[in-house]
Amino acid sequence: MKIGFVSPYAWDVPGGVQSHIRDLALHYRQLGHEVSVLAPASDDSEITDDFVVTAGRPVAIPYNGAVARVLFGPVAASRVRQWIGSGEFDVLHLHEPAIPSLSLLACSIAEGALVGTFHAAAPRQKVAFAIAPLLEPVIEKLRARIAVSEVARETLRIHLETDAVVIPNGISVASFAQASPNPEWKKPLNIGFIGRFSEPRKGLDVLLEALPNIARVHPNFRLLIAGPGEGLEAMQKINPSLRNRLLFLGRINDAEKASFLKSLDLYVAPNTGGESFGIILAEALASGVPIVASDIPAFRYLLEEGRYGQLFENENSEDLARKVISLLKDQKTRDEMSISGVNYSQRFDWSQVGDEIMNVYLHAHKPGEKVGLSSENRLWNRIFSREDE
Amino acid sequence: MNSTYIWLPLTLLLVIWYLTFSANRLDRLHHRAETSWANLDAILQRRAALALDIAHTGAVDPATGLLITTAAHQAREAEISERSEAESALTQALLLLIEETDLNRRYPELFKELDTITERLKIAISLHIEAVNAARSRRQRLIYRIFRLAGHAPLPVKYAFEDDSLMEITR
Repeated sequence: MKIGFVSPYAWDVPGGVQSHIRDLALHYRQLGHEVSVLAPASDDSEITDDFVVTAGRPVAIPYNGAVARVLFGPVAASRVRQWIGSGEFDVLHLHEPAIPSLSLLACSIAEGALVGTFHAAAPRQKVAFAIAPLLEPVIEKLRARIAVSEVARETLRIHLETDAVVIPNGISVASFAQASPNPEWKKPLNIGFIGRFSEPRKGLDVLLEALPNIARVHPNFRLLIAGPGEGLEAMQKINPSLRNRLLFLGRINDAEKASFLKSLDLYVAPNTGGESFGIILAEALASGVPIVASDIPAFRYLLEEGRYGQLFENENSEDLARKVISLLKDQKTRDEMSISGVNYSQRFDWSQVGDEIMNVYLHAHKPGEKVGLSSENRLWNRIFSREDE
Repeated sequence: MNSTYIWLPLTLLLVIWYLTFSANRLDRLHHRAETSWANLDAILQRRAALALDIAHTGAVDPATGLLITTAAHQAREAEISERSEAESALTQALLLLIEETDLNRRYPELFKELDTITERLKIAISLHIEAVNAARSRRQRLIYRIFRLAGHAPLPVKYAFEDDSLMEITR
């Protein structure tokens, strides 16, 4: 099968959606399918993946409370036409097609077996009623929609009044399960945190506020924090006597992340909201680290209401401290959580997730049919004879 | 000069464009519903064939075998309007097999395939229901009815199916 993927975000910028597409494309290539990814890129020379076709330089626009680096406009549209016209794809897999981006362009230009994956979770917006009529004619061309979580599915239902099949994001379970701990980091009672901690919604402050309580019972604990930044601001916030308990590691790569998780006794995810899936929890499960997480909808769903990790009341650092203290005391429960977590994490392995997505492709695709340009675009091309098909 | 001479043709052109655009949209939705039905039908056919295979293993007791064979044949021959009812009956009949752990052990491939088909069936059904609902609700809009934009395309047939019993099959 020949599959085309469209990424809304720049390929040379790290991000959840991009790594999802890359892993999925590599997985399918390994299984013998042909893959091609169309993506924006700030700097073409940075792109080392040979299956990626770049569509131009993205622009930074404020969208939905964050800055998104996306690409659209007439030049991008002509690249998309060219890519689809010459690609002979069986299936076109568009990621995040409901934001102004390359994916939305591709969705409006293409015709055939179109599949869309919706990653984001967003609260109900006032502008939704204004956006929906514009998006509807485009989005309804998708033969199948995938949401990465119940939260993303709910967002889709509210904003676009359309349902989706839930298929989680994938991870490579083996690379986390087989990693070895880093002897430099591995000390007793290690608590870990990964993320851009300067963003309030990642919840580092909630965790920092819980530290004094934890230190009263477990004076020997350590908190390892990985993510871009030196954490000077965070250091200011906490009690000086606790500063030597904190270790900021800076940004870590994928291999380091696997051994980081393996070096922990407990992983804490204090995110206060805005999460749609929580891939880090799936990775922590695969590493066999027991988890304490806030009870935001995405985490509750991923941890099956607390079955595979303990939940604390969102933004309540006292509750967080209680959960951490009792788990650090209880080696037996931690061991049990570790085993059941590793088993459960198979559900997120690419072997499983890839099969499920392929299943959706088969449903969207009619045998013998190729993705082409939609009739409006063919007409457009004929009238203005802009390019040969 | 009266500006009507400019505005009238312009409006007319806009109306024509909008109607073509709308007809195109509906056509695409019909096409989507046809594709999803073709896929759903293919999987249902495979399931009926598999049910017959299981019933003919000889290891199924005659009563269950008879029930499954009848249900599978009825599902295969059902008219489209009675299809979902017939398929639900087959689902119920297949549910009887889940308790037969002995049979499960002796023919693991057959039951593994049943699991796979049931998983695919769930997705096929939800995609089809969505496609049909999208096409139907669009057809009901006033402008589509006034200008008969649906043309001679038949109304996509709804397919009701109890998801719950399907859930039980895959455990």
